[in-house]
Amino acid sequence: MLTKHFARLTCELAATLTLAACAGDDAMPDWADTPADNFDALWTIVDRRYCFFDRKDVDWQAVYDSYRPRISDEMTREELFDVCAEMLDELRDGHVNLVSGFNTSAYREWWSGYPEDFSLRVIQEKYFNFNYRQASGMIYGFLPQNIGYIYYSTFSQTVGDGNLDNILYYLSTADGLIFDVRNNGGGELTNVETLVSRFIDRPTLVGYISHKTGPGHSDFSAPYEIIYRPASEGRQRWGKPVVVLANHSTYSAANNFVAVMKNLPQVKIAGAPTGGGAGIPFSSELPCGWSIRMSSAPMLDALGRSTEEGVAPSPGCEATIPPGATDDPILDLAVRLLTE
Amino acid sequence: MKKLLTPLLIVIAALIGGTGVCRADDEARPVVSSYTLGVGSASLTDTYLTPLHYRGTTWQADYRRLQAAPFHPEKLTMKLGVNLDVAQTHNPAGNATMWEAMLTADWGVMRRWSLLPTLTLAIGGEVRLQGGAFYNARNGNNPASAKAAATIGLTGLASYTFRIGRLPIRAVYQPSLPALGAFFSPEYGQLYYEIYLGERRGLAHCAWWGNYFALDHLLAFDLQLGRTQLRLGYQGRYLSTHVNRLSSTASANLFVIGITTEWLSLSPRKPSPIPLIHAY
Repeated sequence: MLTKHFARLTCELAATLTLAACAGDDAMPDWADTPADNFDALWTIVDRRYCFFDRKDVDWQAVYDSYRPRISDEMTREELFDVCAEMLDELRDGHVNLVSGFNTSAYREWWSGYPEDFSLRVIQEKYFNFNYRQASGMIYGFLPQNIGYIYYSTFSQTVGDGNLDNILYYLSTADGLIFDVRNNGGGELTNVETLVSRFIDRPTLVGYISHKTGPGHSDFSAPYEIIYRPASEGRQRWGKPVVVLANHSTYSAANNFVAVMKNLPQVKIAGAPTGGGAGIPFSSELPCGWSIRMSSAPMLDALGRSTEEGVAPSPGCEATIPPGATDDPILDLAVRLLTE
Repeated sequence: MKKLLTPLLIVIAALIGGTGVCRADDEARPVVSSYTLGVGSASLTDTYLTPLHYRGTTWQADYRRLQAAPFHPEKLTMKLGVNLDVAQTHNPAGNATMWEAMLTADWGVMRRWSLLPTLTLAIGGEVRLQGGAFYNARNGNNPASAKAAATIGLTGLASYTFRIGRLPIRAVYQPSLPALGAFFSPEYGQLYYEIYLGERRGLAHCAWWGNYFALDHLLAFDLQLGRTQLRLGYQGRYLSTHVNRLSSTASANLFVIGITTEWLSLSPRKPSPIPLIHAY
């Protein structure tokens, strides 16, 4: 009896003090698991957390007014998901995903609007005759012109310092290096730092980052300098010319890698503009258990420019691959840039 | 920290009054130690991670120690406590899990009054350190919300001894209420990646009851079955923070069970106050 009394006393005291203290914070309504409340929860979470409303000129209130009438208590979960996904597509952001047990929404225009222009098989077969090395998620080897080549397919694959030492030591006699991140959809930013640290010889300003300081669409912290340090003494570094290959499917952390490398003096970017994705995603969830992920912390390049819409190739280094090509003109261009 | 400790020392000095200093070198000051394990219900909310309330189960291990202070032992009691708790909670849909782990340590001094031979009351101040985290694995770039605080606050003790039949029982109530200090919180949408990069401005906040409220209280019954006592009781924990437009709440109600012992630490350099038979 006494135990029960004290438990209740604790809860009541806590609730009273919480209510007194929480005015003005991010407390949200107690949404129920209904189509209307799930929709309202999704809209509100994005309204408070998403970071590119102004940049993309999205009137989020108008979006609510447009989609909310389509929500009814009678609709199925799949119908609700489809309306929510359609609403999220208004943000035109590949970092926005609604995740349920039966589907994951994704805005795909940043890559689906362009023809396929990369074939790893072509490189493996035509340029290496299947004679290449692979380590730490990377394919690497020598091209006939004494150019080193590395293909890195995803920044989700952790890059080991020991692996990098081995790879760069192996390629150290090459006259130049091609670092290929085409079709690389991103992953961990810490892998960007690990890689870039091999291409710099002093602490280098590589960009800026800020974050939301409140639920308002313009509530942002001052941009904070991101400074990368070179790999420690004894690690293999690369000071010779580098060409980074990118295409429209180079996204998120890979987009950031291209943006950082582009501002290094010995580096050129070749290929097509990247797909963008310069807002670090933040996650939350809805009463029905669906997860929502959205851009929340915008990143800028070293010159203070957003790369949300992508990074353009270096001047004179634009190239595309016609559909069905049996060779890789972008790779050929990179070889010419390094040999001529 | 010096500024924070000053009010605590003033309170202790006021409670002591004008009594002269008394050394405890010639007196025995037995230590009352309690070791308990607890299990109960937990509720977690952290708007940095999710707007939803998570509910589940919590487990804890708790150590408490009480001893007459070496200075003014006839009036002052020292307390020391260490608590480790872990909670596993689930979202309303039941498809996500949030973990909480917290380590708390406190040290305090209380002014003691023996109002009746069976009733003792004490009140005083304590210093408290707390650290831990909430962890929600479904969140990619914001999976954790770290918790850290250093506070001073009020603490107390009420002890009443009675019997049920021939069984002596001591009822003990021990509340702790942090009042002032400092605690950690990221900004509204700040990622821990930014902190890793070095963006550490504005992470520490002054704690007061308007933005930081914690209450920890224990109601326990020590059943004096022999020289070691069986401890049964209830423990309630509550922690709530509101800063940077972020809200975080962790509450728990636990049943605790353990033992309470009273022991004496003797210095071989000083004569014992009681006859001793040594084991070796």
